[in-house]
Amino acid sequence: MFFRVIAKDRLPDLVRGLSTEFEVVGPVAKGEKFVLAPIEDPASLRLDYDTTVLPPKKWFFPPEETIMRFRVADNEVVDDEVYAPPRVLFGLHPCDVNSLLLMDNVFFGKYVDPYYRARRENTLIVGVSCTPSDTCFCNAWGTDETHWGFDIFLSDIGDSYFASIRSVKGAELVDRHVESRDITDEDTRLFQERTAAFKAAFSNDVDTSQLPLLLDAKFDSPIWEAFGEKCLACGACSMVCPTCYCFDVHDELEADQQHGRRVRTWDSCQFKEFAAVAHGQNFRDTRASRVKYRYYHKQWGYLSKFERVLCVGCGRCARACKANINPVRVVEALQTGVVD
Amino acid sequence: MAPRVVVVSLASDFGCQVQLTNMEDDLLDVLGLMDLTYWQLASSGHMPDAYDVAIIEGAVTTTEHVELLKDVRSKAAAVVAIGTCAVTGGIPALANTAGLETRYATVYGGGVAVAPGRIAPAPIDSIIDVDYHVPGCPIDTAEFLRGLSRVLQGLSDHMPDQMMCASCKVSENACFLEVGTVCLGLVTRAGCKAKCPSLGRPCTGCRGIAPDANLASAREVFARYGCDPASLASSLLVYNTAAEVTA
Repeated sequence: MFFRVIAKDRLPDLVRGLSTEFEVVGPVAKGEKFVLAPIEDPASLRLDYDTTVLPPKKWFFPPEETIMRFRVADNEVVDDEVYAPPRVLFGLHPCDVNSLLLMDNVFFGKYVDPYYRARRENTLIVGVSCTPSDTCFCNAWGTDETHWGFDIFLSDIGDSYFASIRSVKGAELVDRHVESRDITDEDTRLFQERTAAFKAAFSNDVDTSQLPLLLDAKFDSPIWEAFGEKCLACGACSMVCPTCYCFDVHDELEADQQHGRRVRTWDSCQFKEFAAVAHGQNFRDTRASRVKYRYYHKQWGYLSKFERVLCVGCGRCARACKANINPVRVVEALQTGVVD
Repeated sequence: MAPRVVVVSLASDFGCQVQLTNMEDDLLDVLGLMDLTYWQLASSGHMPDAYDVAIIEGAVTTTEHVELLKDVRSKAAAVVAIGTCAVTGGIPALANTAGLETRYATVYGGGVAVAPGRIAPAPIDSIIDVDYHVPGCPIDTAEFLRGLSRVLQGLSDHMPDQMMCASCKVSENACFLEVGTVCLGLVTRAGCKAKCPSLGRPCTGCRGIAPDANLASAREVFARYGCDPASLASSLLVYNTAAEVTA
């Protein structure tokens, strides 16, 4: 990794330059909220955003995707090409950069997901530092820092960005498209000062120590029934989660019934149908069991396999859940035995 | 042999049948798959004695409807209910909220002989078995086509059981509840891709209450976000009077 300093007023040059080679996607305003969308004009890029409604996963693993088209008469696949244009995701926060690394563990496992891979390999990541909002708790998992998983990371140091450059491609693009200079000791001092201020700005200070042990000890706790009473089973938490990767696959025929497409869509473990199998059996028949296993998977099951929890503390679920269920409250309930 | 299809109308505003005519891009494909033997809205022909598929719009509001449905059920291999009137009783069933006869007296005056054989408006499956359901007010043509495909392929019915919020998040809509606006998406059956919220209007629940809805928690959510908890039940009545609104 090496470092450069880019003046803030030069940043539009980088965005414009990248646009000549890539589709540039970044945070833009949508009403009162923000979404990750293609950037036509650098002025629409809102690096001061708090969070986006949907996480970056939608650019690698879309909510609905045709994975192949087929012909009914002879059962032949007529199209299974993956659309994966060269793209830059510009302005991801550390939580979201980390979320993609967690998704990689799953989609690049023994059975590589070709749809995810095609887009991931064709996408560069430009991260940007942030200010914690009242729903952020990345500090609980250490995902408030990111050391890899990006090509360029821009840390705000006042009038400039302290740019950490991780990849050769990132270095080439900075060289080609924007004026930059070497870092000085003063830049490094500012970077450390900003980092300390960022760490001190979190309002959530949930204690996640010994969480797997606590989960095991509280497997039969009444808190799960209490959360089940509250849960709307709407699945909003899974949709907005940057690390939820479950999907459903089904076939649809065109109106003429001669051609069809195989579609994959985001799924949620909070849907009753999620664990329904043939013969009417359902392994997660109650809301309480579904909420419980959401947390056992994210905070224990995934951990046991990949040594990280499957959560980056982005707080999107805390914003999306109208029933006020989120990891901070669940951890607190595990500790106190009470759901307020 | 192409399946013989009839389209039957009960009490409704025919809006869902108009939707069928609105699917211009697919209409020729669809008509090519069937022998459409009767459709009151689109032709002056008469109901035949034999057919394979009956597509039914509207709520059951008279004894004549009941007899018609029983006759249809005895003849059709597959019965498809389209639209919320047919699926939940819909807006016609609002007449039940103050007692049917009271409503009639309010609208038509006491002692006036209208609507002979009237009965409390009800969904079709309160009278006969229904094989396929396409809810919505009006129906979404893409969803109708998916349903029709299931009929033609002999697959089972597949109405989504979950609620709307997940689709609304996928569309990255702002949440109406967060600004204190009554929205019924959190208890309403999914499947329309949150069409109204995506167009800037809250969900009015036209697809009916989802089987998996948590009405008790939804009422608490309303209170937390500054919506009158009682408005959940009253808003749900519009499309759900025939169902049991327990909130």
